[in-house]
Amino acid sequence: MSSLSALRRFIRLSLSASLVAASLVSSGCGYNRIQSTDEQVSAAWSEVLNQYQRRADLVPNMVNIVKGYAAHEKELFMKVTEARARVGSIQATPGLLNDQQAFDRFVSAQNELRGSLSRLIAVAENYPQVKADGAFRDLQAQIEGTENRIAVARNRYIEAVRQYNVTVRSFPANMTAKMFNYTTKPTFSPAVEEAPAKPPTIEF
Amino acid sequence: MIRRLHIAAITLTAAAAFAEVAVPTLTSRVTDLASALPRDSVLAIENLLADFEAKKGSQVAVLIVRSTAPETIEQYSIRVAEQWKLGRKGVDDGVLLLIAKDDRTMRLEVGYGAEGAIPDAVARRIVDETIAPFFRKGDFAGGVEAGVRRIIASLEGEPFPAPRSTTLPIAVDRHLPMLFVGIPAAGMLMRRFLGRLVAAALGGIGMGVFMWLLSGHPVPGLWFGAFTFVFIVAPDSNRRTFTSGTRGVRSFGSSSFGGGFSGGGGSFGGGGASGRW
Repeated sequence: MSSLSALRRFIRLSLSASLVAASLVSSGCGYNRIQSTDEQVSAAWSEVLNQYQRRADLVPNMVNIVKGYAAHEKELFMKVTEARARVGSIQATPGLLNDQQAFDRFVSAQNELRGSLSRLIAVAENYPQVKADGAFRDLQAQIEGTENRIAVARNRYIEAVRQYNVTVRSFPANMTAKMFNYTTKPTFSPAVEEAPAKPPTIEF
Repeated sequence: MIRRLHIAAITLTAAAAFAEVAVPTLTSRVTDLASALPRDSVLAIENLLADFEAKKGSQVAVLIVRSTAPETIEQYSIRVAEQWKLGRKGVDDGVLLLIAKDDRTMRLEVGYGAEGAIPDAVARRIVDETIAPFFRKGDFAGGVEAGVRRIIASLEGEPFPAPRSTTLPIAVDRHLPMLFVGIPAAGMLMRRFLGRLVAAALGGIGMGVFMWLLSGHPVPGLWFGAFTFVFIVAPDSNRRTFTSGTRGVRSFGSSSFGGGFSGGGGSFGGGGASGRW
């Protein structure tokens, strides 16, 4: 009698154990979640790239307008043009998202462009004729708008990466991630961000 | 040392996050939390915007707060835009005019789909050249109204998809309760002449088509049609339960169609312009 009830208990236990195991396998190996968060990261990143490109495209126009009034600010123009060339020379391949160092290099080149561009605008605003030029003000609005779009896109990228990284690090999706070679993705680190974000110093 | 600085920075940002100005819930097109506008001008601007939405489909809203500190106006503005979701889903033709009265800053936040109609340069002109001169004189109502009119004028030229037709030939809002009672009542009357089944079918179809037109979807039409059919076809003794049912439906109808305002699911990407006065 007692052995029979032990057998029954064993059967019941193994049944429920296999049920739990089956539900774990079917509901949550995390593969789908990895896929969807990975896709969101890609989408957010391409929006960041879009807006970076938009800014780079506006640079030559700005340089030309300011040149018309302050041709002697040669060093300033050179710095902006160089920064833009550097940004253009880095290929924003998808591989960038799998390499924190390459990512940091790319982002710091972008931040350098932001720094020299905002310096150019700040200097240009000291020339009353430039400030009165409607084309300058329109272009300035476009550049400010683009900087804001970059900030928004960057924040959305940071959030998308956060979700993705939490997914690939936590159980049980981390096993799946390891199996399919999904690693954590780089994000905007404060060290890279802070340096060029300092307001430009202007000396005459 | 650096680590300690880091921790300090983190705690500081955490503290700042707690002190952020909350995004108010969206209940009308003009939300004036700084008491900058007189009541009648709020109503006038709301009507202007409601008419425009009915005609064009685009959603424009105005929010006036005292301050956005500790955030910049851009940071607060995108949070409001993300929460309010002005503009139609997929069309993204929403525009938010945000004014921080005590900071003396404002921002025109333009949805993705409206960036063609209001590019940044145009947004800056609306802010700097249309609105700011009024604000400098202390005329908030005049500035907001002039700004809203220019926003509408800019959006008007853009070939957005036509608004979903919710305007019926009669003023439905006003006659809605009457129709909810009227159709079943007419069905009851017709039952005498046409017989129970035919009258119920007619009433059901009438109600179904009416609800379909009103909501723009066939599903509510189907439900209300079926409900009306059952109501008319049922014998008198069973009607008491249905009557309480229709009463519930009626209050649901008038609450969802009369007044109130909510975003249509549009998204924003940070386009627009900010300004000071």
